[in-house]
Amino acid sequence: MGAINTIEQLEAYRQEIAAGIKADLPTVLVCFGTGCQANGARPVAEAFSDIIEEQGLELNVNIGIKTTGCHGYCENGPLVALQPQGILYLKVKPEDVAEIVEKTIRSGEVIERLIYQDKTTSDMVAEYSEIPFYKHQHRIALRNIGAIDPTNIDDYILAGGYSGLVKALGMKPDDIITEIEDSGLRGRGGGGFPTGTKWRSCVAVDSDVRYVMCNCDEGDPGAFMDRSIMEGDPHSVIEGMIIGALAMGSHTGYVYIRDEYPLAVKNLTSALEAAREKGLLGESILGSGFDFDIKISRGGGAFVCGESSALMRSVAGEVGEPRAKYIRSVERGLYDKPTVLNNVETWANVPEIIMKGAEWYAGLGTEGSKGTKVFSLVGKVNNTGLVEVPMGISIRELVENIGGGVLNGKKFKAVQTGGPSGGCIPERLSDLPVDFDSLTEAGSMMGSGGIIVMDEETCMVDVAKYFINFLVEESCGKCTPCRDGLPRMLDLLTDITEGRGGEEHVAMLEELCDLLTWGALCGLGTSAANPVLSTIKYFRDEYDAHIFDKKCPAGVCKELITYAIDPEACTGCRLCAKNCPQECITGERKEPHVIDTAECIKCGLCRDVCTFDAVRIS
Amino acid sequence: MEKISVKIDGRTFEAAKDQCILEVAHENGIYIPSLCYNSEVASSGGSCRVCLVEAHQGGRMRLVTSCNYPVRKGLEVKTDTPLVHRIRRGVLELLMARVPDSEAIREMAAAEGPTDVRFRLDEGEYDRYKCIACALCTNVCADVVGVFAIGMVNRGADKKPDTPYGKPSDVCIGCGACAYACPTGAITMKEKDGVRRIWGRDFDMVTCSVCGTPYIPQAQVDWIVRTTGKDRSFFDKCPDHR
Amino acid sequence: MTDVTQFDSIIDRYERSEESLLAILQDFQREFHYVPEEGIRRLSEVMEVPESKIYAMGTFYKALSLTPRGRHTIKVCTGTACHLKGAPQILETLERELEVKRNGTTTDGEFTLECVNCVGACAMAPLTVIDEEYHGQTRSSKIMDIVKKRAES
Repeated sequence: MGAINTIEQLEAYRQEIAAGIKADLPTVLVCFGTGCQANGARPVAEAFSDIIEEQGLELNVNIGIKTTGCHGYCENGPLVALQPQGILYLKVKPEDVAEIVEKTIRSGEVIERLIYQDKTTSDMVAEYSEIPFYKHQHRIALRNIGAIDPTNIDDYILAGGYSGLVKALGMKPDDIITEIEDSGLRGRGGGGFPTGTKWRSCVAVDSDVRYVMCNCDEGDPGAFMDRSIMEGDPHSVIEGMIIGALAMGSHTGYVYIRDEYPLAVKNLTSALEAAREKGLLGESILGSGFDFDIKISRGGGAFVCGESSALMRSVAGEVGEPRAKYIRSVERGLYDKPTVLNNVETWANVPEIIMKGAEWYAGLGTEGSKGTKVFSLVGKVNNTGLVEVPMGISIRELVENIGGGVLNGKKFKAVQTGGPSGGCIPERLSDLPVDFDSLTEAGSMMGSGGIIVMDEETCMVDVAKYFINFLVEESCGKCTPCRDGLPRMLDLLTDITEGRGGEEHVAMLEELCDLLTWGALCGLGTSAANPVLSTIKYFRDEYDAHIFDKKCPAGVCKELITYAIDPEACTGCRLCAKNCPQECITGERKEPHVIDTAECIKCGLCRDVCTFDAVRIS
Repeated sequence: MEKISVKIDGRTFEAAKDQCILEVAHENGIYIPSLCYNSEVASSGGSCRVCLVEAHQGGRMRLVTSCNYPVRKGLEVKTDTPLVHRIRRGVLELLMARVPDSEAIREMAAAEGPTDVRFRLDEGEYDRYKCIACALCTNVCADVVGVFAIGMVNRGADKKPDTPYGKPSDVCIGCGACAYACPTGAITMKEKDGVRRIWGRDFDMVTCSVCGTPYIPQAQVDWIVRTTGKDRSFFDKCPDHR
Repeated sequence: MTDVTQFDSIIDRYERSEESLLAILQDFQREFHYVPEEGIRRLSEVMEVPESKIYAMGTFYKALSLTPRGRHTIKVCTGTACHLKGAPQILETLERELEVKRNGTTTDGEFTLECVNCVGACAMAPLTVIDEEYHGQTRSSKIMDIVKKRAES
């Protein structure tokens, strides 16, 4: 079927697709997200294809195989979901496939080995919706991910896709903006600026040309919701952008996307082509007379390009340096034209808000932060992955109920939110509701929703140093405080972690934080103080231990620790001695070994290979 | 042109709408230091941060670079507050740590008080000499001269102006505008025996037929002739003897 | 004289617009494993954009390299989750065993060692990407085996 020329035709087409699908057809959904693919999802999907082909006649049923976007529960990939049973299998290998077909698909039997087992209660859970990781979620932005094939536009249309656009085409542009305003949607990229207000300011500017843009330059380390949405449901973003363009009278859109996300680029590219073919992009969308198309701009590996003015310069084919935002980009953005830039998750929410109404959306979340938010729960936590929950959930609920607690039963120390612009929030504040304002008050920020769980083996001074080092490498170098201040901060933090710190180091760090906050040109610099100030505020004792006792309590900072072998635990297996690059571990077979600390370079290989946990850090 | 009134340090001045704070202040005898800004160069400014001032508007205060912040109705500017001086001193201390050889920076810092540098001096991958990476030179080359011989290369602390690959540029006309514009005198331009050396390239100078002074690079003459159609003989004499 | 057709065939895939510059440079990088000087010069000519502007882009964007890279690229993910779970040890092991610093290329031209800021696969932390292949939960004691295997392929 070619282009769809009217709204009625789209509805007819949707019914046509539905008619072609038998509801009870067993379907195998193999997650093809970056994580699962890396864990070997492709051979699993191939094994299903092979076996279905082989047994096709014998089975006497059709089995649909869908390679979907990321289910979010990446820790346990490759993930295979079975419909209509609603069963989720984890860590599936090609050799499991025959058994799955035989037992589960043919006779409805659950294979215990492959289902979720709760690490604390040992409960076995087969059903997708009952697994704690999914149970507490409320998926809006992630609504289709894992359930549809992102490379097939029919899947999206069947799931109700482009209905929001149809509805919007019947609305006055001004009413679309009002709907978004009333929903209370705030930008999901970091700043949390009210989306409707942004749109309203853009249309208020007199101009014949306007741009809508999508920021998929997801730079905060530890956040990958935008990647997941682009890989798993690109049409939701495209539909959101078309609705935004319609509301603001824009005819050209841009998606700025990280080139480090090859699968996202690929799926977005094919989705744009499919949308054009179907008449959902291009001239006179669905016969409405409204023209709009979207271009892709691939990022070049520069964190600062997530900043709006830098992003726009990068799109225009320049070095991505920010400029002073004394004139906002809604007034003078790309090519000095009024421009609305929203992030992936924000755009993905738009069609649902239009479909279900502002009131529905505003009914979720908290007073100041409406709706749901996608978080990527990573670090030292049992269940790593993407979760979408109503705003206002507490950190503790996120980490303990959904995340299944801290890895290896270690002590929960803190969470880091907001990437390099955010800060660390200690365990004692973990009843804090996660929303834009609470996090900012606590000295961190929402950022794009990365939640990095830290345990007792995480050194908070090292974390501060990590982020400052990150920013030193990512600073564009345009303004003095950021370009020259960050390296000085890194010097001071390096001194502290290497045992050269004095009392004045912390005072000087605070002074530089003040300088960056007030004096830097763009958000990268003005928020750079957060990782340092929040760790000083909540973990001053760790700074003091490094400075005064010359000790790293978490056992991370190399200059302040020594490796030793516990003679009680050592079995004398010689594995550490064989792996030691310095050849400084000695001992007879079956006798406790000893590390020559004078020769030891603290590379940690011995600890990594020891299966008896006998190598200790002190 | 629309005129508006703006308050700076308690005094009210008339200014053109969208004129930058720095210019309004300077026109009215209020000193604000600046390095990277030149009113003749449209794209200059905003990078060195020594001209930061308090901008009060709509009940909100923030520090803004006065060189590119447009004056608006109801704006109140404060250039002489503890916050302004604290941040400016911090910026200058960082610059001194970066380019200890620069007299211009030292003098500006001395005007702000103590001039000791507590930070370890930075040993970068290249000799920073006196360059504060403010980009005024590259902005002049691009916006005013229009030859784009140099650009700001690298990022972060290694950012600096340079020709492509650090090689003598084919398009450079040796005009020296970059060197004249540089606020810290960091660009070396030397002349000897009728030859000018800048950015690693030698330029033969045209000599004035009257006074015999080599006064303009041949490449610059060629470029002006090519782009403006001016008669070549015009350059036989230096501006003093035309 | 360098054969410019190899550059032109890439440039021709794109619109004659400055918006295409970064994409073309990325395609150069993919094709030649770096951005050759002749490529920048040719791009400048065809697009009528000053060479200094394109060169500046080449030095600014981390995805672009102005010097030839090794036959294989090892990217150690240094995202936060990977950092907490041992990326520094992996990087150190690679630096020591390959006798190369980060962003450097081994003397035999086999490997270039890079760091990458979070590839969004934090569940697999610590992660190492060799060429286009993702290796999750890498351990410092095993990383050299993976690298050696790759070198043989």
